[in-house]
Amino acid sequence: MGKLKKTSRFLGSMQFAMILLGILILACVAGSMIRQGQTYSWYSEVYGERTASLIMTLYMDDVFHSWWFILITAFLCLNLLLCNLLRLPQLVRRWKRMGSPEAAVRKESGICADISGDPEKLFADLKFGGIKEKSGPDGGRIKTGTRGRIGLWGAWVTHLGVLILILGFSLGQALKEEYTVYGVPGQTRQIGDTDYLLTIEDFQIGLREDETVEQYTSELTVRRASDGKSESGKTQVNAPASMFGMRFYQNSTGWAARATVEKNGEELQSEIVCAGDFIAAADNPELVIYFNAFYPDYALVEGSPMTLSSELNNPGYLYSVYYQGNMIGMNALTGDDVITIDDYTVRFSDPQTYTLIAVKRDSFTPLAFAGGLITLFGLMIALFVWPASIWAVQKEDGTWHVSAECRKGGQLFADEFRENAEKYRIE
Amino acid sequence: MVNETLLNIENTLFTITMLLYFAAMVGYFIFIASKKELLARISYIVLLVGFVLHTAALISRGIGAGRLPMTNQYEFAASFSWGLCLVSLIFIKKYRFDVLGAFAAPVIFLVIGYAAMQSKDVHELMPALRSNWLGFHVSTAIIAYGAFGVSFAIALVFLCRDRIAEGSFLDQHIPSKSKLDMIGYRSVSLGLLFLTFCIISGSIWAERAWGSYWSWDPKETWSLITWLIYAVYLHQRIRKGWRGKSAAIFAAIGFICVLFTYIGVNTWIPGIHSYA
Repeated sequence: MGKLKKTSRFLGSMQFAMILLGILILACVAGSMIRQGQTYSWYSEVYGERTASLIMTLYMDDVFHSWWFILITAFLCLNLLLCNLLRLPQLVRRWKRMGSPEAAVRKESGICADISGDPEKLFADLKFGGIKEKSGPDGGRIKTGTRGRIGLWGAWVTHLGVLILILGFSLGQALKEEYTVYGVPGQTRQIGDTDYLLTIEDFQIGLREDETVEQYTSELTVRRASDGKSESGKTQVNAPASMFGMRFYQNSTGWAARATVEKNGEELQSEIVCAGDFIAAADNPELVIYFNAFYPDYALVEGSPMTLSSELNNPGYLYSVYYQGNMIGMNALTGDDVITIDDYTVRFSDPQTYTLIAVKRDSFTPLAFAGGLITLFGLMIALFVWPASIWAVQKEDGTWHVSAECRKGGQLFADEFRENAEKYRIE
Repeated sequence: MVNETLLNIENTLFTITMLLYFAAMVGYFIFIASKKELLARISYIVLLVGFVLHTAALISRGIGAGRLPMTNQYEFAASFSWGLCLVSLIFIKKYRFDVLGAFAAPVIFLVIGYAAMQSKDVHELMPALRSNWLGFHVSTAIIAYGAFGVSFAIALVFLCRDRIAEGSFLDQHIPSKSKLDMIGYRSVSLGLLFLTFCIISGSIWAERAWGSYWSWDPKETWSLITWLIYAVYLHQRIRKGWRGKSAAIFAAIGFICVLFTYIGVNTWIPGIHSYA
């Protein structure tokens, strides 16, 4: 056997698949147990320096995007592809041979019985179809039947489905476009670095009688800057909008407010900022205010800021001031309070909820879902359709020797055969 | 709108169900100890009645809460034990395998006992859970978990089989090793198929709700681990002829993984499925 053939046999073998699945299981366990996406200092604080170094060296901080995880997945794809290619001729041969009277003459099976009368009755009891009849070499007749022949393809179709699923997912991960846009009604923002502008026309939070949230709804308009063409849509949780081939998901919400910066009493800038945003003074970028959090019903409880309700009873704005990259102060504003730093005055006003929209374009999602459905179909026929064949050879005295075979059925099939053959069995 | 009357009915039915499952478990134990076949038949009927009342309890909860009763730890555990009971009843009947009841009933009772320890408060659904996919996704999980639970019980029977004296009462009431192996395989097959349904429907739903059909969330990852473990089980049966004891041990490990996916992940690893 040539080296190439030997290598391809191994790469497409079940043994190699088991090794890969074992590594994948361990990788998944590690990826779920070790918190992902943290810094070295975080791991070193939680697990100690030595473990933290190991985590970073083995890319355990981002297992599912690490080069070795991608490599194993690529090998799994290769394994599935080769396995299916190598097994295809053998499967086609088995498919053709199954139920063929010519092949039946040469077959032996431990599941057998000598019966009187037409064996087709037994075939029917056992739900065998595709009955064929032929004269045997010694003059007697041979009858054959099959059931669940499609089950032969179960594992093959399942592998194909998993392969398509992984390919769809991997291509999607590599090529998808993903952006987040947030803002309050009336705001227009560019979608990432694309040619599209997103305007938030309206944002509603539907509340139940008990004040719990029933649904978030954003009305959106997307305009293509190059030709001015626009499309509108509504997005809700579980009901994304589709515009210009992109999907718009209602992702989350939070609080925003108008931040006004004045210098010596003159307005420098005024803009809507969301909790988590930075505001740099327009004429002095080294002076930055960070809008930490917003509390609609602000109260200081045991030294910690918190909100007493979701009602806008006492708006409180938690902020930090940075100068030349260093934090120089942190506090909360309520009522008409302002932040005063030298000649600058900063005030927050007009609190309102903003909407956060996730924008995605992934042309490979349908491919991944198709792979999933093929896998499902493959599993269904692999696990529940047990291919079986039955053949009856007429003996000289006119009685029949019936044999059957079902690789997956084992003892259950043998019992089923015996129970049904019993009533036709020669005493 | 919550209907307190129906929730009270559910509470009563749930308690009776739990008592019936306990009675069935005790009945099966006595059946083995006393070697009286009649007790197995009575225990089966008690389990069946428990199942019917359990179904009624879940329906009451669903109507009372105004939604599918599948959205918190209590509801899922109650549904999980329902799925376990359903699959057990089918397997006991189909394979005339009374002894399975003695191994499955304790698992059913433990899971419903776990449900009883959870908060029964009814909360309104958060927007992400308000989807038609909820029923399909969770009900497939319930059947999958139920089937894996039964495969675990069958694995335990298999592992005990060697210690049973030939020709004894138990020997006559437990299928042969090769048949036990096949029944276990059928149960794993059922579980794996429904787990695949569950993962795929969950992915379709996640795509609509969160914009990503796979996020490597701990629950997703552990569902995949479970799927991979059972995939290894199926391959090893073919490759190494892993039948009998090895397969039984693997099926038992698989169910421990199922339990971790269900309870462990929710308890110890926070993620986007943390409400489940």
